[in-house]
Amino acid sequence: MKSFRLVNPTTIDEAVALASDPNSGRVQYLAGGQDLLTEMKEHLAEPDRVVNLKSIPGLDVIDSSSGALGVGSLATLARIESDATIRAHWTALSEAAASVASTQIRSCGTLGGNLCQRPRCVYYRIEEARCLKKGGTECFSYGGFNKYNAILGGGPSWIVHPSDLAPALVALGAEIVLRSKTGSRRMPIERFYVLPADGDVTKETALLDGEIVIQILAPKPAPGSRSTYLKFKERESYDFALSAVAASVTLENGRVREARICLGGVAPVPWRVTRAEAVLVGRTLDAAAAREAAEAALHGAEPLSQNAYKIPLTKTLVERALLALVR
Amino acid sequence: MSLEASMREDPPKKRKIKTTKVVNGVDTEVEVEIDDVAAIAWPERSKLRVLNQDIPRVDGPDKVTGVARYTHDVRLPGMVYARLLVSPLPRAKVVNLDVEAAKKVKGVVHVLVVKGTETGFLGDPVAAVSAESMDAAEDGLRALAAKFEPLPWAADHDSAMKEGAPLVAKSGNVSKAATDGDEAKARAALAAGAFRVKATYRLPVQHHACLETHGVVVDFRGGDEATVYCSTQAAHGFAGDAAEELGLPANAVTGIVEHMGGGFGSKFGLDKQGQVACQIAKELKRPVHLMLDRRAEFLMGGNRSGGIQTIEASCDADGKMTGFVVDAFKHGGLQAGSLAGMPYCYRPESHYRAVRSVRMHLDASRAMRAPGSPQASFGMEGIVDELAYAAGIDLVRFRKQNLPADAAWQHQLDRVAQEIGWADHPHKSKPGEASGQECIGIGFGVSAWGGGGSDDCEVEVRIDRDGSITAACGVQDLGTGTRTYMAAITAEEFGLAVSDVTAKLGSSRLGMGVGSGGSVTTASLAPAVKDAASKARVAFAAHLGQVLRLPAEGFRFEPEGVLHTGAKTPTVMTWKKACGTLPAEGLRAQGKWIESLAARGVNCTQAARVAVDPGTGRVRVLHMVCVQAVGLPLNRLALKSQIQGGMIQALGYALSEERVIDPLLGIQLNPSFEEYKMPHALEIPRMTTIIDDLDTRQGVIGVGEPPVIPGAGAIANAIYNACGARVRDLPITPDKVLAALGKVV
Amino acid sequence: MADVTDRALGGEEAADLSRRRFLRGAGGVAAGGMIAPSLLAASGSANAAPAIAAHPAGPETLDGDVEIELLINGTKRKVVVEPRTTLLDALRMRIDPALTGTKSVCERGNCGACTVLVDGEPRYACLQLACDLRGRAITTIEGLGTPAQLSVLQQEFVAYDGSMCGFCTPGFVVAITACLQKDPAASEATIRTACAGNLCRCGTQPQIFEAALAAGRRLAEGK
Repeated sequence: MKSFRLVNPTTIDEAVALASDPNSGRVQYLAGGQDLLTEMKEHLAEPDRVVNLKSIPGLDVIDSSSGALGVGSLATLARIESDATIRAHWTALSEAAASVASTQIRSCGTLGGNLCQRPRCVYYRIEEARCLKKGGTECFSYGGFNKYNAILGGGPSWIVHPSDLAPALVALGAEIVLRSKTGSRRMPIERFYVLPADGDVTKETALLDGEIVIQILAPKPAPGSRSTYLKFKERESYDFALSAVAASVTLENGRVREARICLGGVAPVPWRVTRAEAVLVGRTLDAAAAREAAEAALHGAEPLSQNAYKIPLTKTLVERALLALVR
Repeated sequence: MSLEASMREDPPKKRKIKTTKVVNGVDTEVEVEIDDVAAIAWPERSKLRVLNQDIPRVDGPDKVTGVARYTHDVRLPGMVYARLLVSPLPRAKVVNLDVEAAKKVKGVVHVLVVKGTETGFLGDPVAAVSAESMDAAEDGLRALAAKFEPLPWAADHDSAMKEGAPLVAKSGNVSKAATDGDEAKARAALAAGAFRVKATYRLPVQHHACLETHGVVVDFRGGDEATVYCSTQAAHGFAGDAAEELGLPANAVTGIVEHMGGGFGSKFGLDKQGQVACQIAKELKRPVHLMLDRRAEFLMGGNRSGGIQTIEASCDADGKMTGFVVDAFKHGGLQAGSLAGMPYCYRPESHYRAVRSVRMHLDASRAMRAPGSPQASFGMEGIVDELAYAAGIDLVRFRKQNLPADAAWQHQLDRVAQEIGWADHPHKSKPGEASGQECIGIGFGVSAWGGGGSDDCEVEVRIDRDGSITAACGVQDLGTGTRTYMAAITAEEFGLAVSDVTAKLGSSRLGMGVGSGGSVTTASLAPAVKDAASKARVAFAAHLGQVLRLPAEGFRFEPEGVLHTGAKTPTVMTWKKACGTLPAEGLRAQGKWIESLAARGVNCTQAARVAVDPGTGRVRVLHMVCVQAVGLPLNRLALKSQIQGGMIQALGYALSEERVIDPLLGIQLNPSFEEYKMPHALEIPRMTTIIDDLDTRQGVIGVGEPPVIPGAGAIANAIYNACGARVRDLPITPDKVLAALGKVV
Repeated sequence: MADVTDRALGGEEAADLSRRRFLRGAGGVAAGGMIAPSLLAASGSANAAPAIAAHPAGPETLDGDVEIELLINGTKRKVVVEPRTTLLDALRMRIDPALTGTKSVCERGNCGACTVLVDGEPRYACLQLACDLRGRAITTIEGLGTPAQLSVLQQEFVAYDGSMCGFCTPGFVVAITACLQKDPAASEATIRTACAGNLCRCGTQPQIFEAALAAGRRLAEGK
């Protein structure tokens, strides 16, 4: 790693006052460090100042006393995974947290870090490959090795967003709260993620320099609603998703009143599939309905040379995730 | 004749010793000839007290507490840390190396340019920076601001074979075919066969992926001698070269490998990084720690060669294989690569093979656990399976009829079939349907290995007056359990517990030791240990006979102590008391290899049961079974671990491991444990490991390699058996299963 | 480092292999309306006490060599580190005498050989900044037992042959120690999950699981 100054603020105001500036150099925020430190070891990130968020009290609170769920950005994945209330009422989030990486990562990796982590695309992660995301002119995966890359929403970069929590939070209708020197912002979590075609291709989120994630807020689940997160990994023990499905369904009198379905590991952003949701509304969630929704979910998929398998794979996962909700 | 002198001879049929005999009614010291060769044999298995049992590793406590010291852990006063810069491209011109800037970096003490002009393969070492800390050495590497200009390279099969491709060697990238067999006869058999199949199998490049990377610590401080610690498979294999690099006499350098974190064939000799470390130490006159970082380890630490095999095979209506033709390529990077002779194990009536190497500007392959055999086994088990299905014949029966009738494989196949549940399995000659979420399939594979030994070890057993007993040899323990069986063989000889014996190894100061490759260690070393222990016992008995005026041949060393069953009443003394009678210099015996204590030639048979999910392509290996012949087992616990370990490496080869190169950009895309995927805890199946006790040979054989060979073929066959997805291209990842099932449009 | 945007193509022209296609992706993120009722901002109480006290002169900034104190295996150890020094490097190369039981294998949090416990929870030491762990209780393999006094789990590792080359062993022992501390009756599935972030290349995992289960049985019985 390149040398840096480590700053330990004790308030959020102190932290966000430390945005990058030409005099003191580039600032990056450190939560659990399970992604940032690997990037720094690869010289993909070379901040001059690393601003530690763990020294700020109160950023890791998990609170559902009001009925809605608030999870602070510094809450660890292990705490989210083991929280009985989250498991009971925001199950997709619990299952997503449990599916991340390994015990060692989950014990200190955080919600905020998981949402803001950078892509796993092999070209991105190799310093010498100066791809589009790193200021270059080309996405090497497009004509190269793209087995793990996007089948939806791709272009001009074909990364997939690696977060497990993000699709789960989309399915739960969550919002994300950000803070900077100029104040707070709050938005549905889907708007936090930006397609490469729609914004700065060197970033994956709407997070500005000098801005940090404070918390996510998930609404109180409607009666009769259940959610789940189904992740498919190439290696079960410790891997990112080849494809994943987060789904939340509210049933009323045996029929679907509401559904939210979000795909992970297949697009540069968590990929909400309203087309598939529309298939289900008003119907009984049976095998036929699940299959139809699965077909609709992959509408518009444009595979690359090596990742067309993600289409039948994802369809299977959508079907199974939905049927699991009514078992 | 002194004790030592009498023991230094090669084992003759007769041996002269001094002892006491009653002559004409008088106790007289006489010299007698005894037939001692018969005494140097392994006891009958039923009589073995220590050996052929489960023996916990003697170095287990050190390993489980972090006390065991590996090369990476060596710390010396004044030591510097060195880091290597390796070529990021297969062929490149080095156009910039800012040596002066690197030297100025805080903490940097030395910069060495290894290759300043042109690099020849992806991973070729370019420069080394040494510093007071590893971080500072990294800073130094960055400060070099290395710039490389690509030169034309060949980094994939098709490009390397093209007319006009950039050449690895002047003679061309593609070697002449090495052939074997009768092509005309084989092709005629193919044409005339009742059933005939043809298929192409592809093998990736697999990495050894040892947890401890390659590297050395060179302890040279400018004086007359040096010690080099090396993560290596041969304690005697590098000190000489290190001496040359350091400009010291050969006998002034000691090589040490107390513990090492995995080799699997990749770690022999001083190697490039060792050479570089010696050069640095010579100039700096300070100890140098140079261990490859993980990325460099992937790029230049060696690999198992990959390849392509196009195979045609035929059989008659009864399933007897009549013809076999294979056209194969080996992918060994700069080197030739390896492929065991095909047809592998099975005996078609006629065969022909043509094997060529296709060289590329990539890291040379090195020996990796059974070099060339897993590759040959994969193609062979695949084509045998495909032919059996074509003929509609039971997969086990087909195999048995095409293996020698007197081979151990015959009974081993029956055994694994029983253990894996073949009798109740519904798909014996036709695959299952790809329906539901769990399709169950079974596959089989066989292997063979030599594992014999040779006269390469000099073992010393030493008994001291205080009761300590040591077995020493300049061999190494890679996790292979060498220390443990050296102690166990010696303990067996003297009626002691394993914990009473100290095994010393891992130093070039000790007697010559064989390098651990080819599974030759056990069969070379164990007989020599037995010989040394046996000679020590005879000498000790002779000594005690003199001291106690009893016939030497009457002494027995038992757990109860030292007994004498002679004409007079049995005498018991404790081991300690017996040792107390030794002179101050103790007693030493040298041992050498005895052919009759070793054997060679083992068969191994495996089966795998898998569950395939046709909706996702996921393969779960549920159960792997192995029957391995081992000759005389020394330590059943360590043997089981060794066998299972090989099977788990085959599991990774089958389902998830491959080196991925982007041939256009010229970079390895997965030089990390994240993207180079090996089995972790959730991938491990239920494992049944059976030592083939029908192999009653009273000779030790090395079996480090045969268990790694047949697993991938067995798993691939099981996947087809489960649901009809034939994947001939390792690793068998979910995308390939989905494609084979026709689900990828 | 080399920039591979300029690349040689083994004799081929760049043009036919160009990947310069800037297609815009199909579809966009569907605008999802909020279905749930209005949210309340979560209010929370402080959870973890900060390890660093508030500085009146601005936040604590560490730069260059700093001497810090770490609590390792119950003993306070002073060590000179830089902000970028990982706990793994501090243990293996800066503390004197070095604690080399924790191994450096991948340096990227992929293999578990550097697993330590921080306040009883397993973490990869290679992905921890030493300065971040002031005030936390760090446990390394050296703190779990010695050859003369093995822990229950270590004893079972020896009995069941849980080590071959042994390089992965400290990481597994630490990870499983944490698992069994939480639940000595852990099932094999739980044990596997606990060490799914650990790699063994020699393939001793089956023995490791058996050793862990045996240790768990003894711990549950108070032996």
